[in-house]
Amino acid sequence: MKEPEQKLVVPNGWLEALVRKLRVQGTRVLAPVERDGAVDFREINSADEMAANYVNTRVPLKEILFPRTETILEFDQPSGGDVVFSGVEANAAPTIVIGARPCDLSAIGVLDTVFNWDYHDTFYGQRRANTTFVGVACREADGNCFCGSVAGGAGENEGSDVFVRPTADGALLEIMTERGKKLAQSIDDAAPAAGKEEPLPVAATEERFDVEKIKGWLDDHFDDDFWLDVSLKCLGCGACSYLCPTCHCFDIVDESDWRGGERRRNWDCCSFALFTLHTSGHNPRPDQQSRCRNRLMHKFKYFVERFGRRACVGCGRCIRVCGAGQNIVNVLIDITRAEAATSGSA
Amino acid sequence: MPVEKTACSCSEKLYLPRPATIVKVRQVTPTEKLFELRLDDGSDLGHQPGQFVEVSLFGYGEAPISVSSSPTRKGTFELCVRAAGSLTNAMHKLPEGATIGIRGPYGNGFDTEQLKGKDILFIGGGIGLVPLRSLINYVLDNRGDYGKTTILYGTKSPAEILFTDELKAWEEDPTVDFRMTVDRGDENWTGHIGVITTLLEDLETGPATTYAVVVGPPIMYKFVLLSLRSQDFRDDHVIVSLERRMKCGVGKCGHCQMNSIYVCQDGPVFNYARIKDFPEAF
Repeated sequence: MKEPEQKLVVPNGWLEALVRKLRVQGTRVLAPVERDGAVDFREINSADEMAANYVNTRVPLKEILFPRTETILEFDQPSGGDVVFSGVEANAAPTIVIGARPCDLSAIGVLDTVFNWDYHDTFYGQRRANTTFVGVACREADGNCFCGSVAGGAGENEGSDVFVRPTADGALLEIMTERGKKLAQSIDDAAPAAGKEEPLPVAATEERFDVEKIKGWLDDHFDDDFWLDVSLKCLGCGACSYLCPTCHCFDIVDESDWRGGERRRNWDCCSFALFTLHTSGHNPRPDQQSRCRNRLMHKFKYFVERFGRRACVGCGRCIRVCGAGQNIVNVLIDITRAEAATSGSA
Repeated sequence: MPVEKTACSCSEKLYLPRPATIVKVRQVTPTEKLFELRLDDGSDLGHQPGQFVEVSLFGYGEAPISVSSSPTRKGTFELCVRAAGSLTNAMHKLPEGATIGIRGPYGNGFDTEQLKGKDILFIGGGIGLVPLRSLINYVLDNRGDYGKTTILYGTKSPAEILFTDELKAWEEDPTVDFRMTVDRGDENWTGHIGVITTLLEDLETGPATTYAVVVGPPIMYKFVLLSLRSQDFRDDHVIVSLERRMKCGVGKCGHCQMNSIYVCQDGPVFNYARIKDFPEAF
């Protein structure tokens, strides 16, 4: 939890007024919208379009900053001539995202790290600089949410530019960043918080495993039959990675016709058999067992060692989407138990 | 007040290659061609020995290729490419004068400062000689800065031997101890036969003052590393270069991730002591 720069109280109806104002200004507004039974971030013109009740969106927030596919350059080959190629601008229209969940916002921190740790990624950076996130505390969780075990939980404000805590007659707004302050200028009827406001209770997500102990077990169990057991339930389809708010691997491919085309980057996944396959035939991760191990190790060990934070935020999407019923919480509980057994503290 | 567009402080052309022209192409083995390239903007590539570039063939994509020439040879640079996948096969069909795209150089390259004053034992297996050659020629062009130079080179058969003119020059160079072997000879082969570790057996090296620089296929590392250890080489006196299916080359796409390391940025050159406990390294 971070200390906000500013706290404001707003009455019911503040959101409707804000969206109206932003749209009149011509600003792009994204919010969770239900369509065909799925809630996802879509452009809205009015707050009425927002989904009334949603635990989280189907596709995570990452897609707004890091689309599933995007053009990174274009090329053209006039007949008989040399190839001409040119870069493209990232589509980075100023955007306000309303209704993001704390888990997904915490995941943006993971993406920020990867896309900036050495080189700064052009496309990600331009969108990031032009996107303002309004997070909302979760009043409801479902059985697959586990943010309380890995991240700050349902009321975590970190990662938001403005964080909304609903109250009985409006909301308490926590203004977290300069971008948030700018947005707050468009919020009518906002008054400085008096400190007596009582936000409605957030969803409870109790701690179901111990991440420190998991890291300890992973440190010592690269070679273990456990990974074979885990992999037997993995189809290698990549759905978990695509819907993971922190997974950020991508492929770069050319798509062209007889004359020209474009280079795109597309979401990719370390669970795919081709992900690490060399042209020579050598594959550093030749079986599903090594790939499942890498995915889990990367989230709970390698990323921690490299960047000092976990690459799992407990959104539960990988559990909801898995066609084979793989459940990362059960896997992590199993590891916690195994750790307890090996350290003799069971 | 409308929200204004904000500029980011990112590398504007991170994924945009620079055009380069193929100045010269030479078929060096039945499967490898040596491409001499010049960047169209007239600049030097500015690489370190051991670095790589992402080669663009529009319509085919990109592939990571080691730079084979030494930065001491200015103006152009060389890539030695095996026709193995779709991009490299297409590249083999390109004539002199054709344009390709180049991103990079990327990666760390060999630490030429650390090696100064040291005896160097180069061990190259097969196409592993390609990146090694950039360092060998760098050392030979700065002869006074480095100690005793030994080069061991092995291929599966005589047909796969690369850079034959240069090998001859190394053989005739009195300051270089050059030895080579093939796994299987043919009717014309009169040289040494056997895997590369057999060359190590009758070599007199001083492990205390020598750095071994090893580049080859995964299987070669396994045996050469064992052999070096039996000759009392310290782990931190062994330098290796790893191959990975790199896509972005700038530490983002995740394809070359191994433990907490990005091979494209933290490598491809590693001190063996740093990665010896990583089971996926070789």
